[in-house]
Amino acid sequence: MRPQALSRTAASAAAGASWLLTPRAAWTRTPAATPSTSSSITSTSTTTRRAQPNLIQPTSRAYHAYTHPAPPPPFSPIETAILSAAYTHVPTHGFSRTSLALGARSAGYLDISTNLLPDGVFSLIKYHLLSQRELLSTTPLPPSPPLSSRVELLTFTRLLANAPVLPHLQSALAIMAQPSYIPTSLAELAVLADEILYLAGDVAVDPTWYTKRASLSAIYAASELFMTNDSSTGFRDTRAFLGRRLGEAEELGGAVRSVGEWVGFNAKAGVNVLRSWGAPI
Amino acid sequence: MAARTLLRRALPSMRSASSLRQSSPFSSSTLLQSRAASSSSSSPSSSSSAIPDYAIPDPSRPTHFGYETVTEAEKIERVAGVFTSVAESYDRMNDLMSFGWHRIWKDHFVASLNPGFSPLTSGPDPRAPQHILDIAGGTGDIGFRMLHTAHTLNGNPDVRVTISDINPAMLTVGKQRSTQLPASQQAALSFVEANAEDLTRTKPLSSTSTTATATDSHNTSSIPSNSIDLYTVAFGIRNFSNIPAALREAHRVLKPGGVFACLEFSKVDKHPLLNTLYKSWSFGAIPLIGQLVAGDRDSYQYLVESIERFPSQEAFRDMIVDAGFIVGGDGFEDLTGGVAAIHKGMKPRV
Repeated sequence: MRPQALSRTAASAAAGASWLLTPRAAWTRTPAATPSTSSSITSTSTTTRRAQPNLIQPTSRAYHAYTHPAPPPPFSPIETAILSAAYTHVPTHGFSRTSLALGARSAGYLDISTNLLPDGVFSLIKYHLLSQRELLSTTPLPPSPPLSSRVELLTFTRLLANAPVLPHLQSALAIMAQPSYIPTSLAELAVLADEILYLAGDVAVDPTWYTKRASLSAIYAASELFMTNDSSTGFRDTRAFLGRRLGEAEELGGAVRSVGEWVGFNAKAGVNVLRSWGAPI
Repeated sequence: MAARTLLRRALPSMRSASSLRQSSPFSSSTLLQSRAASSSSSSPSSSSSAIPDYAIPDPSRPTHFGYETVTEAEKIERVAGVFTSVAESYDRMNDLMSFGWHRIWKDHFVASLNPGFSPLTSGPDPRAPQHILDIAGGTGDIGFRMLHTAHTLNGNPDVRVTISDINPAMLTVGKQRSTQLPASQQAALSFVEANAEDLTRTKPLSSTSTTATATDSHNTSSIPSNSIDLYTVAFGIRNFSNIPAALREAHRVLKPGGVFACLEFSKVDKHPLLNTLYKSWSFGAIPLIGQLVAGDRDSYQYLVESIERFPSQEAFRDMIVDAGFIVGGDGFEDLTGGVAAIHKGMKPRV
């Protein structure tokens, strides 16, 4: 299975049709070199997902990998055509069957063709999440400043991408919170946090890999909720909210580290005291 | 997940029921897979123009009837016998066998397809009339729900439903039931007698309504290619003698962008405990209920055996893809853990 998957990925990457993983495909790519190749949402690949009917592959992965082939694109070319056309109707009609049907129509299909999408309206929401996440890699980042401000910039850029569909974001969140969609939604949130940290140039591989991603996920979700009620110019309030939360996370991280250091030092000292008394430790 | 594997280890006897299927492989699907493996490079469009042998109906080719092996012609005859025998008690039996749950499945099936949904835009009315073909829809369960969803819920009277069945006895039951519908819905409904493997020869149900086919001396007409928006078949396709041929016929009559949707019993292998319960119910109780209520044990024995012989969700999905449809996601949706499954495919635009 692996060689086939490898060759398929290589082929699609060569055709510029890799849906998600433009930055991940290149080995030598540095995170700072952000301007990406042209966004591949409008995929022109003619390969259909079911070219090999019995080959089921994972369609997503929760982390960046240099040594594994990228998963196949999440939507087939026809699905992408319908969804991208439907997405243009979202600001007017929301994440709804109406948008889907209008999209199918403008893509040259029938109203009934929206049945191709297995999750209906949720497919449209997923399209929004995936395409906006992919567009993040085109964010121009200042080369020098510290990691935290780059993370903040990227997170805020992603939040701003919700602005055109903001009136419908609450209904989208409600759909994402439906029990059958929660796993997909949470996985997408995790991938987004990973993407932001990757693009910001975080290369830490210690246990903070997990805590950073977990806290960023929570902060992003909170900021998104805050944003649905934000009416300030240019979402100033959301940016301030985001900055405060990130600052708190940093402080909290520092506090946890200090506590951990203190506990570790005392535990070690305690063991050494016991050893000095002749305990066989 | 871990609990499930433990359970599977602890209860090996559960798997005996599912191994029945493996000992008697489904003839056309194994053939299909070997074909797919040998010619995986052929695109869907080319495969629809060059029809493989197994998708051409052949009355003398062996197929299965429950656990028996019969020829395709014989299967058509015997399935006709089964459904003529059960037509009168069909709906009552469905309720008893599935505790009324089949209504939930059918409601969900129709609601998820959402026929007749067609948003208006400014300017001229963009809505095109929809034509739904309900294959093996004899008693009208799906057809009537389609009409209700389209006309009443979606307020779109431009939706016609053609109910087709190979068995006039089942159609007669459906025709009788349709007299309960509102007149506007009755007007949008038509009944034809046809073999789903060859929709070029259809016969209107009653001999009195000759007006529709007055031009044709043999009183038969054809469902033209590229004329159907939505092709549905609910709990029918496993009785077909040649499923690949029926799928290709569906592909022919559908418009580009049209949807093939199938509701059918499927495999519960993913849930061993439920599978055990389900198998003991279907093999232990259903033929007995059939004997007591409908006075016909053999027909219901055939019913449960034909469910057992029907391919798994994945194999059937691959048959749909092989017929030239494209599917989204996994290509199927399990209902009640896989007791039934909905398969959908769309005919791509050329």
